[in-house]
Order: sequence, then C-alpha cells, then structure tokens
Amino acid sequence: MSIRLLALIPVAVAINLALSAVVDATGLPLFLDTVGTILASALAGPVVGIGTGALTSLTNSLRNPTFLPFVAVQVIVALYAWGAARAGLFRSFRVAVPTGLGLGIIAAAASTPISYGIFGCSTSGGVTIMTALGRSLGLSPLGACFFGSFISDFGDKAVSFALVATVLHALPRRTAARFPLALRAIGGGGRGAAGPA
Amino acid sequence: MSRLHPFTLLALAASLPLLAWILPAPGGALAPACVALLLAAAAGPRRVLLPALLTAAPFWLFLFILHGVTGMTAYGVRLTAMIASFVWLVAVLPPARLVEAMVAAGWGAPSAYLFAATLSAVPVLRQRARRIVEAQRCRGLSSRGSPAARFRALRALALPLVLSALHEVDERALALESRGLAAGHRRTPLAPPPDSPAQRSARWGLVLACVLALAWRLVWRG
Repeated sequence: MSIRLLALIPVAVAINLALSAVVDATGLPLFLDTVGTILASALAGPVVGIGTGALTSLTNSLRNPTFLPFVAVQVIVALYAWGAARAGLFRSFRVAVPTGLGLGIIAAAASTPISYGIFGCSTSGGVTIMTALGRSLGLSPLGACFFGSFISDFGDKAVSFALVATVLHALPRRTAARFPLALRAIGGGGRGAAGPA
Repeated sequence: MSRLHPFTLLALAASLPLLAWILPAPGGALAPACVALLLAAAAGPRRVLLPALLTAAPFWLFLFILHGVTGMTAYGVRLTAMIASFVWLVAVLPPARLVEAMVAAGWGAPSAYLFAATLSAVPVLRQRARRIVEAQRCRGLSSRGSPAARFRALRALALPLVLSALHEVDERALALESRGLAAGHRRTPLAPPPDSPAQRSARWGLVLACVLALAWRLVWRG
C-alpha cells in the first residue's frame, strides 16, 4: 500500500465520525457514518475501504462500545462501494442514488442478525420504534428487526452515495488522478467542479 | 489496574463480554457483568461507572419495550457487561500506551501510525465541522425548514468538510515520506509497557476460560 493510501485511511475514518456534527446541524434522520468508508473504497479500492470501516468501528466503540459488533457491515459497505466504483456507478445522481438504495437493503440484511442476536433490536430509539411497529404489523421478531434496520439504513445509504458522488465530481481532476479508482468511479472523465447530473 | 500491560487489559475487557454471551443468561451472564461493573466502580464511580450505566440505561428501556421483563433481563445483563468492560478499558488504557505496546510486540510502523493518526484526526475534523457549520450560518445558510432546504444545507456543510479533509491527505503523505515510514520497517518504542510471565499466563488463562465455556455450552448443554 502506498503512503498516500495509508494516509487516506485516518482521514476517511475522521470523515465517518465528524459528519455527525453536520447531520446534527440539519436535524435530518441520518447517520452518514459510512461516507468515509464509501469514499475510501471509491478512491482507493477494497483494502483501504475495509481498513477505514474496521478502524471506524474500533474508534467509535471507544465512545460507545455497541458499535463494535457492526464492523461486518462496514466491511460489506466497503466491498459494495468498491464494486460500484469499478462499474462507474458514481457517474451521476441518477445512478448513484439507486445504487445507494441497494446498499441500504444489503446493509439492513447484514446488520439484522447482529442487531437481533446481540442487542435484541434495541440499537437505537428509532430502530426500537420501527421494530415495535413491525411487530404490531404482524411481522416475526426477525422480520420486524429487519424492518427497523431497513427503515434506518435505506435513506441513509442513498444520501451517503449521493454525497460521495458529489465529492468525487467536485475533486479537481489532478487530485482525483492521484487515487487509483477515482476517475473510473465517475465514469472515466471528471468534470472539475461541476456536480453530478 | 492501569499499570497492567495493555494486552492484559484488552484480554480482560474482551473476555468479560464474551463470557457473558457464552454463558446462559441471565444467571450465567450475571457474574461477568458484576465483575465489569466492579472494575468500572474501582476505576472511578463518577468518571467510569456512571457513564457506563448511563450508556446501558437506554438499552434496558428499549429492550423492555420490545421483549418485556424476561427478554430485557437476558439481553440487558449481557449488554451491560459489554458496555461496562469497554468504558472501563477506555478509562484505564491511554491509546498512546497501547500503540507503544503494539510497536514493542512487533507491529509495523504503518499499523501504529493508523491507530495514532486516527485518534488525533477525529477531534480535529469534528472541530472543523463545527467551525464550518458556524461559518455557513454566518453567511446566512439556514439548516432548518423543509426537507429540501435541509438537504441543500447538508450539501453546503458536508462538501467543504470532506474536500478539505481529502486535500490534507497529500500533506500527510509528504510528512510520512519525509519521516521514512514504509511497510516492513520497525520502530523502537521509547517506553515499552512492562510485561511479566504472570500477566502472559493470565491472558492465556482468559482465552482458555472462554474456550472452555464455549465448549461446555456447545457440548454439554446443547
């Protein structure tokens, strides 16, 4: 791994953890705690993305240890984002948002067994309410847990993908070219400071 | 306690939640949870035990809503063991000491850099995020109102933060190159934490206890 990619990992982890301050300011029901992982994978591939995801879970668990078991979800996010970058799926909002929605389903499916087995689906107030709603709709305990995780992950991952697409398009082409996957992720040709269409 | 080798503290903090999950709840999980709470109390009732209890409290409430008293107790005891162990670990183990122990144990300089750089980068970027929020508000950006307005504000707040962080990567890479950091190079730790045969035995003992508990649970208890 080159020194530049090594230096990218702590920065991407810090992006994952610092965006909560921005989310708090807007009051939107989002986490955006995988933006750094998606960005690292889209810029530099799966090893950097997985390193970012694992280190994010580890660092987050120093503040709240309940984040640690979800390290598997960060790894899945990294691999999915790498595949999306290789396929050029960050080239526009029209493609990036549905790709993010797909990740929302996969992330919810991956986090459900962890949330159900370890936390009894009580990972946050929102997830608890949605799980209780799922139970009242007649879903099985595991189905209700998936419902709760799905509602919380679905929009979050779509917004995360849209944000990463915006960042990749806003990166100066010279900066983007220093990372192995950046130009491929946006469809082969960066458009300077213009946003994704 | 904080004088123990970092790996001993890590082994203790990891084995307590593991035992709480392996042993049948709530009875079997109660002992590791009590040990974790005692460790937290010994490290500081207000500084460590209280934050651990405050972190665990919402989970008990959520579990009661979803599972009633029986489910709440079964999951809650295990979660409390996990939360108390980690809050205690963070309180008694400074990250710099863990990095020194990792370097002394033969971990490469890049691994130590990743751990140390992450811990220092997170507060810096959080502070920058708050400054960007304040600066954009000074320029008249409203981060409230309709969902569309909030999403526009999110873009205006997040984009400068992420782009400025990415521009930092080059500076960091240059600094690392000038210090000769490369894979395979080993650093000499300035003050390696002292280890002892007794602590090494204790660590293996904790690993053995977890393996035996798992075997007992799988083979004899079904």
